[in-house]
Amino acid sequence: MKTRAVLGSIFASVAVLIVGWQAGDAVIASNTATTSEASGASGTPGTSGSTATTNDSTTGGTTSGSATTTDGTYTGSSVSTRYGNVQVSVTVSGGAITDVTALQLTSAEGRSVQISNQAAPILRSEVIAAQSADVANVSGATFTSDAYLSSVQSALDQAAA
Amino acid sequence: MRHVFATMGTVASIDIANDDERMLPALERVFDEVDQRFSLYRPRSELRRIADGQLTLTDASDTLRASYARALGWRGLTDGHFSPHRPDGVVDLNGIVKAEAIEQAGRLLTNGGCRGWTINVGGDILVDSAHGSRPIGITDPTDASALLCSVSLGALPTDTRRALATSGSAQRGDHIWLGGELRPAPFVQVTVIADDIVTADVLATAIVAGGTRALDQFTAHWDIDVLAVDRAGDLVATPGFRAGAGVAPSALH
Repeated sequence: MKTRAVLGSIFASVAVLIVGWQAGDAVIASNTATTSEASGASGTPGTSGSTATTNDSTTGGTTSGSATTTDGTYTGSSVSTRYGNVQVSVTVSGGAITDVTALQLTSAEGRSVQISNQAAPILRSEVIAAQSADVANVSGATFTSDAYLSSVQSALDQAAA
Repeated sequence: MRHVFATMGTVASIDIANDDERMLPALERVFDEVDQRFSLYRPRSELRRIADGQLTLTDASDTLRASYARALGWRGLTDGHFSPHRPDGVVDLNGIVKAEAIEQAGRLLTNGGCRGWTINVGGDILVDSAHGSRPIGITDPTDASALLCSVSLGALPTDTRRALATSGSAQRGDHIWLGGELRPAPFVQVTVIADDIVTADVLATAIVAGGTRALDQFTAHWDIDVLAVDRAGDLVATPGFRAGAGVAPSALH
């Protein structure tokens, strides 16, 4: 039941990414000033105000940017992470980022679609209090041979003997 | 059947099928050989003789130098939070050789055709297969007779990680270097789930030594799940650990 719920949330995340991906394709197909290979994932076109290099001859490259940011869609380089290859496309319009799209987020296994594996606070009441009868082994900071005698592990070993 | 014996200053509890009892003498020998070679408490051990200056590392056995090289590799990977040297400079491979012995014992059982086994040495645990293994209790550092929670390896069908290790700050001293000064270690106990027991054990030790920053770095770079208990007794856990510990997804942050 819990496993199913976790998988459900993972699938939901993937669905969002896929929708985003398709939207990204549409943006690239219709955008008049698609820029490729901006360096780095952030795809900053620089502050010179010069026209960014367009990747093809799409009609009317309206790269009439402001002094700081040129409108267009910028594609970062693909970065290999433990969650798979990640490549991001950023759309800039009127000097502001209007869209960020994941172009690539491959995953070979279910676990790898988690975006972050950072540890976060958890309440003691959130973990289901374990009874020693439920477990076969115990892990804790290494006990000495003496401390073992009064440990939960010792009780489990006697029960299993 | 469960076989229990004292080794390396702690106790090993090994679960194997009754039919595999023939493996026990060879299994005990694995731990005994590592203990004889690496224990600093044995006056004649190879590592003790290195500590005493009677033997140089360059003249040491291939086995010892391989463990030392592996420990040095981990020192680099963990920004020095794991180290094969004591503060006084003595080479101390205690942090890695127990896990290496568990790894070796596991290989012995697998090569011997044994299935469904669990090796637990002083709370560092390697199972034959994550799926079908029984839940593991995590001790409460504030109450040695109580369990904090239990966690199942292989909670997701795709999760094949077989190793779980726990380290505590008592083993490494109660203070760590943070921002240029000696401060109390934030975590009193850290549990790590990983593919292999050496990674789990080394990273658990390194997170105790390195605190929250090390925790965040390591969870981003290795395929591990972590439960850490801080000085106040509060817990932090990775999403994967919560899943294995049976926490409802609605409780996820």
